[in-house]
Amino acid sequence: MELLITALIIAAVLFGIGLYGALSQTNLVMIMMGIELMLGASMINLVAFWRYLHPEAFSIQMFVLIAMTVMALEGAVGFAIATQRFRTSGSVEMEESAELKG
Amino acid sequence: MISVQLILLIIFGLAAIWFGWRVFMTSSMVRSALSLLGSMVAIGILFIIMEAEFLGVLQIMMMGTEMSIMAIFMMMYMMDPGGLGQMDMYHQKNISIAAGVIVTVLIVGAAFATDWGTIATQFPGPHEQNRLLGMEILKRSMMIFETAGVTILTGMIASIAVALSIKNSVEK
Repeated sequence: MELLITALIIAAVLFGIGLYGALSQTNLVMIMMGIELMLGASMINLVAFWRYLHPEAFSIQMFVLIAMTVMALEGAVGFAIATQRFRTSGSVEMEESAELKG
Repeated sequence: MISVQLILLIIFGLAAIWFGWRVFMTSSMVRSALSLLGSMVAIGILFIIMEAEFLGVLQIMMMGTEMSIMAIFMMMYMMDPGGLGQMDMYHQKNISIAAGVIVTVLIVGAAFATDWGTIATQFPGPHEQNRLLGMEILKRSMMIFETAGVTILTGMIASIAVALSIKNSVEK
C-alpha cells in the first residue's frame, strides 16, 4: 500500500507545481511547461494504478500512451502559436495578448 | 517493511519534484527547459521502477527529444536565454501558490482517504507486458489508437498552418 500512496503523493506534488506554473507564468512556453508537468503527474498516477491495483488491465497503459500523445500535440500546437505570436508581435508574453479579450 | 522499490521510488520521486520546482525558480529559459527534461526523465525512471519498462523507455526517449526542441525554441523567442536580465515573468503569484497548495493537499487527502483494496503482487514480466499491450492496442483499443494517430496528423497540419507566414497577396 505504501508504494501506491508514495507514487500518488509524488504525482500530487508534481501536479501542484505544474498548476502553480501554468497559472503564474506570463510566458507562453513556460505555461506549456506547467501543463506538461501536470500531464506527467497524471501519467505517474495511471502507471501506479496499473502496477499496484490492476496489472491485468492494459487499457490503463493505453491511457498513458494517449497522455503522451496529448503532451506531444500540446507541444507542437503550442510552439506553432508561439511562432506566429512572435512573428506578429515580437514576443510570447501572454500579458500582451489581450486583443481577443471581450 | 521498506523495500528497495520504495526507496528508489522516493529518491527518483524527489528528483522529479526538485527538477519540476527548478523549472519555475530559474530566470534562465534554457535552464528551465533542461530542468523540465530532468523532471521528465525522472518520471520515466519512476515508470521503470514501477515495472512498466516499455512506457518508461518511451517516456525518456520522447521527452528527451521534446525538451531539447523546447530549449532551442526558448533561445529563439527570448532575447535573454541566459537569464542575465533577471526578468520578472510572474503574475497573480499568491493566487497561483494558493491554488497549487490547495490542489496538492486535496489530492493527497483523497489518496489517504480512499480504500484502495488489495495491492496486486502478481504482474506480467516485460516481455509478456509488451505482448499484452500490443494485443490491447490491436484488439479492444484499436479505434482509440487509430484516433490518436489521426489526431497527431491533424495536429501536425494545424501546427504548420498556424506557424505559416501569411503574406497579403492583394495588390494595393
